[in-house]
Amino acid sequence: MKTRTFSTSSESYALSRKYGYDEWIVERFLRYMPEVKNCLEEMEKTPRQYIRANSLKINSGGLKQRLLAKGIELEETSLPEVFEVKKSPFSIGSTLEYLLGYYYIQDLSSCLVVEAMDLCENLTVLDMASSPGGKTSFIAQKMKNTGCIVALEPNSLRLRPLIFNLSRCGIINTCVFRMDGKKSPELNIKFDRVLLDAPCTGEGIIGKDRSRKISHKPEDIEACTILQMELIEAAARVVKPGGLLIYSTCSFAPEENEFVINSLIDKFDIKVEALPFGSEGLTFFAEYNFNNDMKNTRRLYPHLHNTMGFYIAKLRVNS
Amino acid sequence: MYRRPTREESTTLRRAFHWWGIFEFLQDKPLSIKDQINDSAKQVYLLTPEVEGISLGRVLAHAGLMIGILKKKFMLSMAGADLVARESKKFPHVVVDDDAEKAILYGKNILGESIVENTEIIVENQHLIILNLHREAIGIGMTKYHGKYLSQRGIATVTTLIDAGIYLRNEQRRRGNL
Repeated sequence: MKTRTFSTSSESYALSRKYGYDEWIVERFLRYMPEVKNCLEEMEKTPRQYIRANSLKINSGGLKQRLLAKGIELEETSLPEVFEVKKSPFSIGSTLEYLLGYYYIQDLSSCLVVEAMDLCENLTVLDMASSPGGKTSFIAQKMKNTGCIVALEPNSLRLRPLIFNLSRCGIINTCVFRMDGKKSPELNIKFDRVLLDAPCTGEGIIGKDRSRKISHKPEDIEACTILQMELIEAAARVVKPGGLLIYSTCSFAPEENEFVINSLIDKFDIKVEALPFGSEGLTFFAEYNFNNDMKNTRRLYPHLHNTMGFYIAKLRVNS
Repeated sequence: MYRRPTREESTTLRRAFHWWGIFEFLQDKPLSIKDQINDSAKQVYLLTPEVEGISLGRVLAHAGLMIGILKKKFMLSMAGADLVARESKKFPHVVVDDDAEKAILYGKNILGESIVENTEIIVENQHLIILNLHREAIGIGMTKYHGKYLSQRGIATVTTLIDAGIYLRNEQRRRGNL
């Protein structure tokens, strides 16, 4: 489907000039994002940094004490394993505790995706785009290193950091295939949980990568949407009946989010389950109306939720 | 391709696990072997029964946790050393002070004066685990001297073979930052 663009306005002109964005992006934000100016302002700030304690190796309290002794101040978040780094005298990735796999540097939004998976011990889980392994290792942690995670990564260069991180975190319940997620039905395995953290335009991580203000075009959203549709259909085919499919992107674009989910539930017997965080998903965008269940999907905005921009959908696959 | 250890490999591994004090911990857990192309060294992986079920006979990039390398003898990896430090009650080791901890993470050898404790019986050219003051595995070393002489001042008495910082150093080198 073609990316929806709009005639620009004086507001989009002013905001795009002030914050250095391509105007078409800002004009789109104005159509669906609450408090756009605040969001753009928030993305100008140094992004908040979070770490997730690896309970396979250390408990949260123990980690907090160890890091505090080194002058690293942490603040609790809505998740017990995740802390916001309020102050660190040096790079948080250069400590012995990091090398020993006691924590993973990971945005809160990524942790919320895993939280949405309702994980327990001895499940069979598929992570369709797993490198560098932040979500995969958190899944392993939630499963207490039992059962099996099948992690896919098509890019051989991205396998090294993935395997390093799994090893650093002491993960024994994961196997990694160099494989495109679109081919996951060829594995002939049915999964209790499938995570598709889909490749996307990354509009939500502009705070981390400012080049994205001007580096992508409407056609890039189209290309991502096509890929996301292919991936999510493959994902839906490998979920056991009654299992969960979690879809996420770090993009704000409705074409990469609600459009993808709306199109999936038209084809499969799937129920969209509500999540206890974030803002409701969109039920319309410009002239497009979505299924009312899209309200159950969640949008995370930097200025409202103190995270990177993210979209999360929790889907129960009935058959 | 991952496969189960042969009888001969299992014997070598059992012997090594006894030596490192992790035999009981590992005895009911599946292990896999990954043969290396053009290399006699085989990687030894600890995994869950479910991962073993999926990985055997399939071509995959990685499965479980690589705990060591099997040549004629078994050599621990850093993940294996971490396992030993956590699960074993008795194993060859030295404990080093904070300054040495930092140096070891840059791949430096251990000076005698930085060793604050070592296991009783250590011979020359023996592999051991390097622990910090928290008793965490930060490296694997090889003694240059008998245990009695390990604390000699001004001399590197233990050669660091692997350390917890090696991957990040290699990555920085690869990117030209080191």
